[in-house]
Amino acid sequence: MYNQIRKIYNSLILVAVLSQLSCEFKPKKLPIFGSRTFNGVDTVYHKIAPFQFLDQDSSIITNDTFKDKIYVTDFFFTSCRTICPIMKREMLRVYESTRKMPEVVILSHTIDPEYDTVALLHDFAQKLGVESQKWHFVTGAKDSIYKIAQTSYFATAIQDSSEPDGFIHSGLFLLIDKKGRIRGKYDGTKEADVNQLISDIKILRLEDGL
Amino acid sequence: MDCKLIYFLTLLSLGFIVNMSLLRCDFRDPKFKIYYVEGQRLYNQYCSNCHSITGNGLGQLYPPLIKSDYMAANINKVFCLMKYGISDSIKVNGVVYNRTMFGVPSLTELEIAEIATYIYNSWGNEKGYVDVSTVSKAMKDCNAKN
Repeated sequence: MYNQIRKIYNSLILVAVLSQLSCEFKPKKLPIFGSRTFNGVDTVYHKIAPFQFLDQDSSIITNDTFKDKIYVTDFFFTSCRTICPIMKREMLRVYESTRKMPEVVILSHTIDPEYDTVALLHDFAQKLGVESQKWHFVTGAKDSIYKIAQTSYFATAIQDSSEPDGFIHSGLFLLIDKKGRIRGKYDGTKEADVNQLISDIKILRLEDGL
Repeated sequence: MDCKLIYFLTLLSLGFIVNMSLLRCDFRDPKFKIYYVEGQRLYNQYCSNCHSITGNGLGQLYPPLIKSDYMAANINKVFCLMKYGISDSIKVNGVVYNRTMFGVPSLTELEIAEIATYIYNSWGNEKGYVDVSTVSKAMKDCNAKN
């Protein structure tokens, strides 16, 4: 009787240990954000809507630019003195840590396109010391930028003259996969969050076998 | 045994001397410490977004305050630009910075002295305590210009 109990106990422990191990060895998968629908065959995930903007080199930037690319995106403006310099300092860490990954790029949208012209964005990127192939700073029609921020990326971008710099916006960094789906959201003003983003990029690359 | 005792006593006395000198540093000027701590709070509130908590600045967008030849040579201008901002281009350690810096108009002369005490005694800078009368005198000149 005693022996039987021991056997059962031992096998229970074995099962517990094994399940623990299998959990740990299962590769971590990033969530897919946004609403999803079923079209009868497949699950359809929320995707970034079609867009067209101009970057610091006057190149036209569309969804096609990011075909087969993983990208990190945010919303900012060059004259902002509040959270933007912190965001840019943190995004620069993302830039540096993905330098040797040509399939990872960065897309920063200005939310003040009237002031942030192509020439100004060019100057800004140059002074930050980054390459335009790797980090696109884009401007475009204000409505399109605000609309894509709110409906595609779920980021806040509103003009408000009562704010110190004239805009309300979140310091969100978003991680977008090769299919245009949101796979991560991070506070771009917090070092720990950005560290998480940097390690999540590695997990996302594993999905593509890189 | 003797050798060990001497070694021990030497260490003890060295420790004592180091401790005393540190204490002297702290008590040398209590005002310095008050200015420094308050200056750090103000710096983190008004300046660190752009110039960074570590004083490193950011690329050629925002100049560094860590080992800045501009700061060393232009302390009076530094007092003025904290309050009134600066739109002229300046050269810091050989690099030109030409983006407008907005000032913080609400800063008092005391607060400017506190921030100056903090930035001129952090990250390897060791200028010593900057008192209000120095700032007041300098501010009269920038008032005239602005």
